[in-house]
Amino acid sequence: MAHIKIANLRKEFGVGDDKVVALQNVNLDIEGHVFVSIVGPSGCGKSTLLNILSGIETPSSGTVDITQDRHDANPGYVFQAARLLPWRSVMDNLLFVQPDPDAPEARERCQRYLDMVHLGDKGDKFPGELSGGMQQRVGIARAFAVEPDVLFMDEPFSHLDAITARSLRRELHDMWQATGKTILFVTHDVGEAVELSSRILVFAKGGRLEDDITVDMPFPRDAADENVAVAKAHVLKKFEDLDLVAT
Amino acid sequence: MTAVQERQEQPGKSAEEERLEAELRREKQRKWFWRILGYIVVLGVWELSSGWVLEENLLPGPIRIIQTFPEIVATGRFFSSFGATLTRIIVGFGIALILGSAIGLLTQIKWFENFFRDFQTVGLTSPGLVWALVGLIIWGFQPMGWIFPIVMVTFALVSVNIAEGVRSLPKDLIDMAKAFGTPQHRRQREIVIPHLAPFIFTAVRFGFSIGWKVTVLTEVFSSNEGIGFEMRVSSQLFQLDVFFTWVLSFFVFALFLEKVVLQYFERRFFHWRQEVSTA
Ligand SMILES: Nc1ncnc2c1ncn2[C@@H]1O[C@H](COP(=O)(O)OP(=O)(O)OP(=O)(O)O)[C@@H](O)[C@H]1O
Ligand SMILES: [Mg+2]
Repeated sequence: MAHIKIANLRKEFGVGDDKVVALQNVNLDIEGHVFVSIVGPSGCGKSTLLNILSGIETPSSGTVDITQDRHDANPGYVFQAARLLPWRSVMDNLLFVQPDPDAPEARERCQRYLDMVHLGDKGDKFPGELSGGMQQRVGIARAFAVEPDVLFMDEPFSHLDAITARSLRRELHDMWQATGKTILFVTHDVGEAVELSSRILVFAKGGRLEDDITVDMPFPRDAADENVAVAKAHVLKKFEDLDLVAT
Repeated sequence: MTAVQERQEQPGKSAEEERLEAELRREKQRKWFWRILGYIVVLGVWELSSGWVLEENLLPGPIRIIQTFPEIVATGRFFSSFGATLTRIIVGFGIALILGSAIGLLTQIKWFENFFRDFQTVGLTSPGLVWALVGLIIWGFQPMGWIFPIVMVTFALVSVNIAEGVRSLPKDLIDMAKAFGTPQHRRQREIVIPHLAPFIFTAVRFGFSIGWKVTVLTEVFSSNEGIGFEMRVSSQLFQLDVFFTWVLSFFVFALFLEKVVLQYFERRFFHWRQEVSTA
């Protein structure tokens, strides 16, 4: 089980007139087997938060701390853009981030997750030979294949067609249920957030955490279900109250 | 482009596919037609000029040169001279490649970039002749006499290209690797080197072609072997057929290196790029 603690986090980019405050006054405690969605308008610091948690960016002030059972474990990260090595095959892209790429289990594991994203026969292709949505799915398989305790996902399904997205949402949900992972999931889609999450964080422009909603409904949640629709309306209402609706 | 299509060839071809393939074939034929015509015209004009425009003694035609070629090979000097020149360029450019790569990589450090900036420009712009003369004056016929000019003329080409590659390292991929905790040596091998490969390649391609010129130049001045030396001797003896045979062999060899050897490696390294040049 993992425990993520964020205290008084602030992140600024640039200086003088170019200064942008991406995150401010963020305090969070995320523990154990939870699926946390992060929603908010474009530019409110969602990707920045994941980048800080994964160690790509450093905070301007405040602290983040991730403790895990396996102390040497690394989080998995599905980036907003696929970020694949163009000069390596799909399979080699997955192996690249494996702790021990030469182990036969590593290859098996990677193949299993490629199958999961319906790209089992594309292992030999180069990323440039795949469509944008397929590349995104390779990025998803890559993150799953390290079987991390903590998984960061930045709008992983936004470039996919509705049917593929639904199938992958189900896979993600099943995997989360089966493994007890901690998942931080950025999305623009409130419906998706309500369907999948145990907790929804609402960020506002300027990188403030505006709301922290616990979604306490049994899984699986069907978008057509009345309770789900009510919950979705509730979150959307918060968006409106906070004046977060994209204009 | 064609390579990919060939790989995916399937038994049942549609009319559209066949039309596209026929189009590609025609395109290829046209390309070769013009290329071969280029040779015919240039060699033809040359052959005709020899005797018509200039005396055959002054400008031996291609047929004469083809006849001279076996004579030179028979003396045994052909391969030893090519070998000598090739050794020089490999040694000289090899040193330049190592030196230039080191400098190029070091330009990641800000102070070094500024420290070295203008010397790179000097290296890029100064004529080979100057260095060839300097080498001759200082070292005469010693190895440094030819190593020095080759290195001076080519190292900056390498360092500038590598520096360019270093500046454009893909931060998004490196960040990705960091987030997954990928070890440093794997990042270097799988991200940094493949990214730098085309820059190194460009450096080698241009460095080699410029290195050739300087090598031959130094041989003309300060050597008693190699292609440049042979050119000097034959021109001094007024054996212009021999002279032109050396010149032409040199062209053919340079063309072979560029079109066959370098392109072979380029295809091997960059087969992931679908648009490998088909020239
Ligand atoms: N490396 C950077 N340099 C400068 N500014 C940055 C950088 N990264 C992010 N920013 C700025 O920080 C703010 C937050 O960016 P971030 O990418 O986290 O937004 P986001 O919530 O993920 O938006 P989106 O939904 O569009 O992906 C933006 O104003 C952005 O311009
Ligand atoms: Mg983002």
